[in-house]
Amino acid sequence: MRLIDRSPRAANAVRTVSPSGELFVASIVICMILASFGDAVDPAWIGEAGLEFAIFDFGGEFSVLAMRHWHLLQLMLAGGVIAAGIMVLRIVAGAFFRPLEPAAPRDVEKVPINL
Amino acid sequence: MELDFLSAGFLSALFAIVLIDLVLAGDNALIIGLVARNLPKQTQGKVIFWGTFGAIAIRALMAILVVYILAVPGFMLAGGLALVWIARKLLTPEPNAGADHLAKAPATTFAGAVRTIVIADAVMGVDNVLAIGGAAHGSVLLIVLGLAISVPIIVWGSQLVIRLVDRFPSVILLGGAVLAWTAYSMIVREPLLAMWFEAHPATRLVVAVLIFSISLAPWYSERLSEHMKPLVVLLPALLIWMLGFEVAASVWKVQVDYLLARDEGEYLLEGLRWIGWLPLAALFLWTRERLILRSVRAVRSTPPS
Repeated sequence: MRLIDRSPRAANAVRTVSPSGELFVASIVICMILASFGDAVDPAWIGEAGLEFAIFDFGGEFSVLAMRHWHLLQLMLAGGVIAAGIMVLRIVAGAFFRPLEPAAPRDVEKVPINL
Repeated sequence: MELDFLSAGFLSALFAIVLIDLVLAGDNALIIGLVARNLPKQTQGKVIFWGTFGAIAIRALMAILVVYILAVPGFMLAGGLALVWIARKLLTPEPNAGADHLAKAPATTFAGAVRTIVIADAVMGVDNVLAIGGAAHGSVLLIVLGLAISVPIIVWGSQLVIRLVDRFPSVILLGGAVLAWTAYSMIVREPLLAMWFEAHPATRLVVAVLIFSISLAPWYSERLSEHMKPLVVLLPALLIWMLGFEVAASVWKVQVDYLLARDEGEYLLEGLRWIGWLPLAALFLWTRERLILRSVRAVRSTPPS
C-alpha cells in the first residue's frame, strides 16, 4: 500500500485536482514534449527551411532548439510561467468579454428600456 | 552522464528523486503498526527502530544496486518501459484506496516482525528504487542524498506528506509527469539504441509523445467526452505503427521515406505507412461500438430482480 493511498483525494488525483494545478502540470508536460521536439529536430533542417528566425531561434536561449538542454527544474519554471500567463490571459479575457454578455431579461442589473 | 555538484542538472535530478520517493512511498508506518500490534510493549519500541533501520538500509542498498544494473545494456530500456507502467498505475484512480496492504497478519516474535517489515518495504519499494535509479543518471551520491532527504520525511513526517498531497493532488500528476520524463530519458539513453536514435532523430519525439500518451492516459481520458474515449487507444497505437515502420526499415534495410524511395515496393510501403492504419482504426471503432451495443442490450434484457 502506498502512502498517498491514505488520502482519497490523492488516490483519485486525476478527478480531484484543481483547474490551476492541472494547468500547471499540463504546461510542464507541454514543455517536456517541446524539449523532446528540440532534441528530435536537426538544426540544419530548420536553417534550410528558413525558419530559424521565425519560430525556433526566437530569443536565443528561449528557443525550442535550446530547450533540449533544459533540466527538469528549468522545464518546471517554464511550465509555471506559461500556466501563470494563461491564467492572467483568462482573467483579462473574462473581464473584457463579461460586460458584452447580455443580462438575463428578469435580472436586477437589466436596465429597463421602454420604447 | 556526469553531473556537477549543485549544478542545474544535479538539483533537477535531486528534485526528481525526492518527488518520486514521496509519491511512490510505501506506508511504512501502517505496516510497522500492523506487524507490531500484538507484540509486548517493551519489544514494540525495538521492532519500530530495527524495522525502520532495516527498511532504510535495504532501500539504499537496492537503489545503489539498481544504478549498477542499469549500466548493463538492455536494462535501461526495460527500466524505462517499467516506469511507463508505474506512472500509469500512479495516475489510475483507486476507488478503494487503503483497502489492501502487504502485512495482513501480526508477527509474534521480534525477528519475525523485523523480517516482515523489511520484506514488505523491499516489495513495495521495487518501483521506487527503479525510478530513482533512472533519475539519478548513474550517480550514487544523488541516490544517497535523495534518500537522506526523503526517507526521514516519509518515516517521521508521513502525515505531512499525506496532508500535502491531500491539499494539492496536482503533486501526484506532477509525479506521473516526472516519471514519464524519466522513462523517456532512460529509453533514449539506452546504449543498445543510442546509435539508432542518432540515425533517426525524429523518432525521439515520437517516443516522447508515445510515452506521455500511455503514462498520462488515466488523466486525459478523464477529460475526454465519451465519443472521444477511443483516442486513449488510437493515439498510442498510431505512434507505435509509425515507430514500427522506422524499426522495420532499419532491420530489413528498406527505404520508408518517399523522397528517397527507389522502387514501387518502397512507394507501396510508404503508402501503407501513412494510410494503412486507417482500416485498422475503423475496425477497432466498429468492434468497440458492437461490444458497447451488446453490453447495453444485455443490461436491458436482464429482468429486474
